[in-house]
Amino acid sequence: MDYSNLRRQIIFMKKSFFDQGYLDEQFNQLEELQDESSPNFVEEVVALFLKDSPRLLINIEQAIEKYPQDFYRLDSLVHQLKGSASSIGAVRMKNECSVLKAHGNDKNLEGCRRSLQKMKREHATLKQKLESYFQLLRQVGPRNSAVNSRK
Amino acid sequence: MAPPEEAGGGEFPVGMKVLVVDDDPTCLAVLKQMLVQCRYDATTCSQSTRALSMLRENRRGFDVIISDVHMPDMDGFRLLELVGLEMDLPVIMMSADSRTDIVMKGIKHGACDYLIKPVRMEELKNIWQHVVRKKFSGNKEHEHSGSLDDTDRNRPANNDNEYASSINDGADDSWKSQKKKRDKEEDDSELESGDPSNSSKKPRVVWSVELHQQFVNAVNHLGIDKAVPKKILELMNVPGLTRENVASHLQKFRLYLKRIAQHHAGITNPYCTPASSAQVASLGGLDFQALAASGQIPPQALAALQDELLGRTTTSMVLPGRDQSSLRLAAVKGNKPQGEREIAFGQPIFKCQNNSYGAFPQSSPTVGRLPSFSAWPNNKLGMADSTSTLGNVNNSQNSNIVLHELQQQPDTMLSGTLHALDVKPSGIAMPSQSLNTFPASEGLSPNQSGFLTTIPPSMKPEPALPNSQQSNNLLGGIDLINQASTSQPFSNSHGGNLPGLMNHNSNVMPSQGISNFQTGNIPYLVNNSSIGVGSKPPGVLKTESTDSLNQSFGYICGSSPMDSGLLSSQPRNAQFGFLQSPNDVTGGWSLQNVDNYRNTIGPSHPVSSSSSFQSSNVALGKLPDQGRGKNLGFVGKGTCIPNRFAVDEVESPTNSLSHSIGSSGDIPDIFGFSGQM
Repeated sequence: MDYSNLRRQIIFMKKSFFDQGYLDEQFNQLEELQDESSPNFVEEVVALFLKDSPRLLINIEQAIEKYPQDFYRLDSLVHQLKGSASSIGAVRMKNECSVLKAHGNDKNLEGCRRSLQKMKREHATLKQKLESYFQLLRQVGPRNSAVNSRK
Repeated sequence: MAPPEEAGGGEFPVGMKVLVVDDDPTCLAVLKQMLVQCRYDATTCSQSTRALSMLRENRRGFDVIISDVHMPDMDGFRLLELVGLEMDLPVIMMSADSRTDIVMKGIKHGACDYLIKPVRMEELKNIWQHVVRKKFSGNKEHEHSGSLDDTDRNRPANNDNEYASSINDGADDSWKSQKKKRDKEEDDSELESGDPSNSSKKPRVVWSVELHQQFVNAVNHLGIDKAVPKKILELMNVPGLTRENVASHLQKFRLYLKRIAQHHAGITNPYCTPASSAQVASLGGLDFQALAASGQIPPQALAALQDELLGRTTTSMVLPGRDQSSLRLAAVKGNKPQGEREIAFGQPIFKCQNNSYGAFPQSSPTVGRLPSFSAWPNNKLGMADSTSTLGNVNNSQNSNIVLHELQQQPDTMLSGTLHALDVKPSGIAMPSQSLNTFPASEGLSPNQSGFLTTIPPSMKPEPALPNSQQSNNLLGGIDLINQASTSQPFSNSHGGNLPGLMNHNSNVMPSQGISNFQTGNIPYLVNNSSIGVGSKPPGVLKTESTDSLNQSFGYICGSSPMDSGLLSSQPRNAQFGFLQSPNDVTGGWSLQNVDNYRNTIGPSHPVSSSSSFQSSNVALGKLPDQGRGKNLGFVGKGTCIPNRFAVDEVESPTNSLSHSIGSSGDIPDIFGFSGQM
C-alpha cells in the first residue's frame, strides 16, 4: 500500500538491472512503447522471451551434445537467441551469445559447453529478477508502472 | 509516444501498411508495438511462406515489408527477391547480424534498408521514406516521355536515393552495386533463365501474352503518344514490374509498330476494302506476331487471332482463320528464331469497334507478316516450336488472307457480334467478361484457355457479344475482335492462346493455345503463379485491363490467372472464339480450317473431320504441334517471371485442360468444342 515505497523499490531495482548490466537501453525503449492501449506491454514481451528462450537453449544444448555436432545449426540457433535477447535488452545474454557463437565457429566444443552453461545461468537470473520486478509493478497498479519507475 | 488520437487515417505516413516477418516472437512483438507507436498499420507474420501468400493475395495490402534474414522456412534474402520481383514493394531486412558482408548481401538482393537488431524506434520512424522513394522514382519516369534515355537518366538518381539510405553499417557502395544491377535489368528485357541463386539482379520480366496485353491496353488507353512508362506501369498495375521493364518494352513496342506500319503499307489487300482491313490486318498481324513472337501464343492462336483481326467473318476469307493465323504465325515465327518470342502486339488490337487501332498509327500491313517484334522474351512456351512449323507453311498466304479478312469486314465482324463464340468474325470475341479470369494457363478449359488467355477479361470489349461473354474470358481478346474491327483478336487472348481468337472460325485451336496457356507453359502465368506479375488474381489484370481491353492490343499475355472457372462457365461456344456461328463461314471454314489446320498446324488433336465448324475448331483448338500435346505454344504463360518464381500452380490445373485439348477431340465440353459450338 505504500505506493511511494513500492515505487522506490521498483526504481531501485530497475536501476540495479542497468548497473549490473543485465539490461540495456533497449529495455527503456520497451517501456516507452508501453501506453494506455498496451499497458502491460513490457511485461508481455518479457514473458514472451522467457517462454521462448528455454526452447532455444535446449536446442542449442542438443546441437552441442549430439554427435556429430552440427555447428551450422548451432550458429543459427544462437543467432536467434541473440536477436531475441537483444530485443528486450537482455544485454548479458546477448553478449554471452556472441561468445558462444565464437566458440561454435571455432568448433571449440568445450568452449561451447561452458558458454552454454553460463548462458543458462544468466537466463535463470534474468528470469528471476524480471519476474520480481513485474510483480512489484503490478502491486503499484497499472498506471504507475514503467513510466513512473523511470523517474 | 505518438498521441493516440490521430491514429490511422490521415496523411502519410500515418497508416502506412507494414508487414513484419520474423520467426522470433519476442522480436515480432516488439516491432509491432514500435510500428503501432509510429502510427503505422502493422501486420506480423512468423513465417515467410505465409507472408508471401499474404502478399500475393493482397498485393496492394502492404506498403513496405520488414523481414528478418534468418528464418527457418525460407531465407530472408529469398523472400526479399520474391517480393521485389512479384510485388515490387520496398523490403527492409533486419538481423542481429551486423557483419558487413551480410549487409551487403541484403543490399544486393534489393533490400531498401538493413536494420540491426535490436531495432530502435528512430529507425522505424524513417522507413516510410523507402515507400516514398519508390513511388517517386516511378514518378520521375513519368515526367519523361518514357524513352529509355530517361530511364537511364533517372536510374542513377533513383538509385542514389534508394540505396543511399540509412543502412546500418551498410557498405557505402551498396547503392552502386544496386545501380549496376538495375542497369543490367534495364538493358536486358529478355527472360532470364531465372536462376534464383543469381541474387544480384532481379529476374527479368517475361512479357507474356497477358502481360503484353495489359501493356497494350495501357498504352492504348493512354494513347501511343502519351504513353509513358510510368503511366503504363500504373495502369498495368502489375506487381513486380518496374518502370524500367515497361520502358524498354515500350521502346520495343514502338519499333514494332513502326514495322507493322511498314508492313502494312506493303501488303495489299487482296480482298478488300481498305482501311479497316488494313488496320485489322495489321492489328491482327500485330497480335499474332507478337504472340507468335513471344512464342507464347501457339501459332494457332495467333492465327485465330489474326483471323479475328481481320475480322474474318464468315466469308470466304478463306483462310480459315486458322490457317491464316497459323500462317501468320508462321510467318511471324518463321522469321524469328525460336528462342525469341515476341509478342508483337503492336497495337491495341482490341480497340474495338472503332477500330481504334489508334494505338497503331497505321495498322498497316503486317498483316501478313507480322513483324517480329521481339519485345517479348521468349517464353518457354513451346510456341516457338510450333509456330515455326506453322509459319513455314503458309506465311504469305495467311497474311494475305488475313488481311483480306480484315478488310472485308473489319467492322462488321468485329463489331457487333462478337458473340463470343459466335464466331463471328471475331470469333474470338469471347465475351469480354469471362476473360477476366483467364488464368493464364490454368484452368483454362481448352477452349477457354486459348481464348482467354489472350484476352484479359477486361479486354473484352463490350461489344455486342452477348453471350460470348463468357467465352470472352478465353479469348478475352476475341471479344475485342468483334468489337473493333477485328483488330483485336488476338490481343485479347491472354495467354496467347488466342487461337481461339480467331474469329471466325477459328477457334484456332484455342484449346491448344489454351492448353498451353494453361498448363504451365507459361512460366509466368500471370495469374496463376504467384509470380509477380499478375500474380494477382485475374482480377488484377482484369481490372486494369478492363478498360483498356477494348483497346487492348493483341496483348495476349496470359493475364493473370485465368480463371478456369470462368472459362468453364462460359458457354461452350463462347469459348474460344469459336466461331459460334457455325453457319457462318464457319462451315466453310471449318473444313478449311480443319484441313488447313491439320495440315499446317498439325494439331495435336486429331482434327476431326467433322464438317461442322466446330469440329474444326476443335482441332484448331489444338495447337499445332507445338503443343506437345498440350500446350501449344501458349504464349504468355507466366512469361513474366522467371520460372522459378512461378508458383507451382501454374502447372497444375490446366493440365487437364490442355490435355483435353490436345487429345484431339477431348476437348472438354466447356469449350463447346466437341463438335459444336
